[in-house]
Amino acid sequence: MAVRVVVACGSGVATSQTVASKVNRMLKEKGVDAAVEAVDLKSVDRYIDGSAAYITIVKNTKEYPIPVINGIAFLTGVGKDKEFEKLLKAIEDFKVR
Amino acid sequence: MQYLASIVNFLLGLGAAVFVPIIIIIAGLIVRMKVKDAISSGITLGVAFTGMTMLINFMTGAITPAAEAMLETTGISLPITDGGWTTMSTISWSWPYAFLMFPLVIVINIIMLVLKKTDTFNADLWNVWGKIFTAVAAYYITNSVIIAFIIAGIQVIFELKSADFHQHRVEKMSGIPGVTCTHKMCFLAAPMYPVDWVLRKIPALNKSFNASDLKDKVGIFAENHILGFILGVLFGLLARYDVAGILTLGVQCATALTLFPVISKYFMQALEPISNAVSEFMQTKFSDRDLYVGLDWPFLGGANEIWLAVIWTVPVTLIMAFFLPGNQILPFAGIINIAIAVPAYFVTKGNVIRMLILCVIFEPAFLWVGTAFAPFMTELANTTKAVELAAGQMISCSSIDGPIQTYAFSHVMQFMDGNFIPLGILVVWVVCFVFYAKSLIKEKKEDEALAK
Repeated sequence: MAVRVVVACGSGVATSQTVASKVNRMLKEKGVDAAVEAVDLKSVDRYIDGSAAYITIVKNTKEYPIPVINGIAFLTGVGKDKEFEKLLKAIEDFKVR
Repeated sequence: MQYLASIVNFLLGLGAAVFVPIIIIIAGLIVRMKVKDAISSGITLGVAFTGMTMLINFMTGAITPAAEAMLETTGISLPITDGGWTTMSTISWSWPYAFLMFPLVIVINIIMLVLKKTDTFNADLWNVWGKIFTAVAAYYITNSVIIAFIIAGIQVIFELKSADFHQHRVEKMSGIPGVTCTHKMCFLAAPMYPVDWVLRKIPALNKSFNASDLKDKVGIFAENHILGFILGVLFGLLARYDVAGILTLGVQCATALTLFPVISKYFMQALEPISNAVSEFMQTKFSDRDLYVGLDWPFLGGANEIWLAVIWTVPVTLIMAFFLPGNQILPFAGIINIAIAVPAYFVTKGNVIRMLILCVIFEPAFLWVGTAFAPFMTELANTTKAVELAAGQMISCSSIDGPIQTYAFSHVMQFMDGNFIPLGILVVWVVCFVFYAKSLIKEKKEDEALAK
């Protein structure tokens, strides 16, 4: 089964789905078996368990048990490659766990 | 012209779930998507339209009888169903000229960047529907597609200017550099500014409290399934249903609110490749300049103050909906009102107490504007079959973004028929916008001087 990655925004519709579609395309190009799912920020805690990483588009003060990736980078393009590397590593680590 | 009109009529006759996918496949090929990807996007969009139609039918089927029963038990008539922003965007995208808004938004942005009239590059092409929304109402009022697009174009210019002015405060409050908010919901901050200026003079209102603890306690009520259930139970009680009926309506309402974002996501999935192609094109074109990237509001979603204001506004909206003269909308899918909380957050610089007061003062604007837009949205939905409504059924949204500006812009041409009220509101809004913009610029200069 594909590894799950979550990304959240205020409604789980627009911004998070933009990031999800973009990252999914990047993963596909790399041939990585993982699926990015867009969820509602208000319910994100329910999705953390069982996900390889959380791509956030807000400044987080909260600690999460899984790696947190900066999603703004995928929206602006600045630092996108670095964040994508981090994500790939998180997915690899999740698989061996 | 005759020929063009018959093509448009033919496309309209196909229904939105067929003609909008055709348009997006063509648009996809223009931005050089692969044929199979373009077709995939098109069919996904058809799925989104059909899914939304199913869901809206389900919602109106559950709520309309309850609203009718409430009319009998309470005597309050709220015949307009609140479909929320997801429904409004669905109907907006079904406007036959909707996709022309993409090139308009991009061209205006490029011209403003080249002329150095803005430093913002708007990467939020999803909210093109917000311009379409204003244009649709202007079109029904003036019967002119050209005037509708001119008004939408002016809105685009204001959005870019608003994003420029807000950038410093956005960075200060969110801690994220290089981005700003191009969303038109920020427009409500302009009329909020003078009100906040008065509130600030009252010392007791300058205190603040920790929003995060409180948000952790009440946050569950803002989750879609829980909020939907509570609303359904409440409507059932007011309609004097029996226990089984009340609980059933609760679960039905929870289902509707939970599934709206799930289905709306398909719109985004279908439109993302086009918006991505445009973004990348713009980024390479202006790579030599330091631009702010204009985004949709959710990057501010980490602010607990916003969520607290949103939750607070839920009961405020419900109570007002029943007692506000002139309101005809029964708040439901639009009740999570981000469009009131985000501008209040900006204008008060995150002072919770003043945010909550502003949310009460400005809520009537949302209900009145939601009521005013019902005829246009209902007519468009019926013409394009974007949403199938029973005869006489009306649909709108109780949380239209930037309601005062949207109403003023779209209705301004009514002065031709002797109604000067929208024009008056427009003038007041522009004056507020200028003063608010000045305060934002002043803050930026002061902070820069301090940094030196």
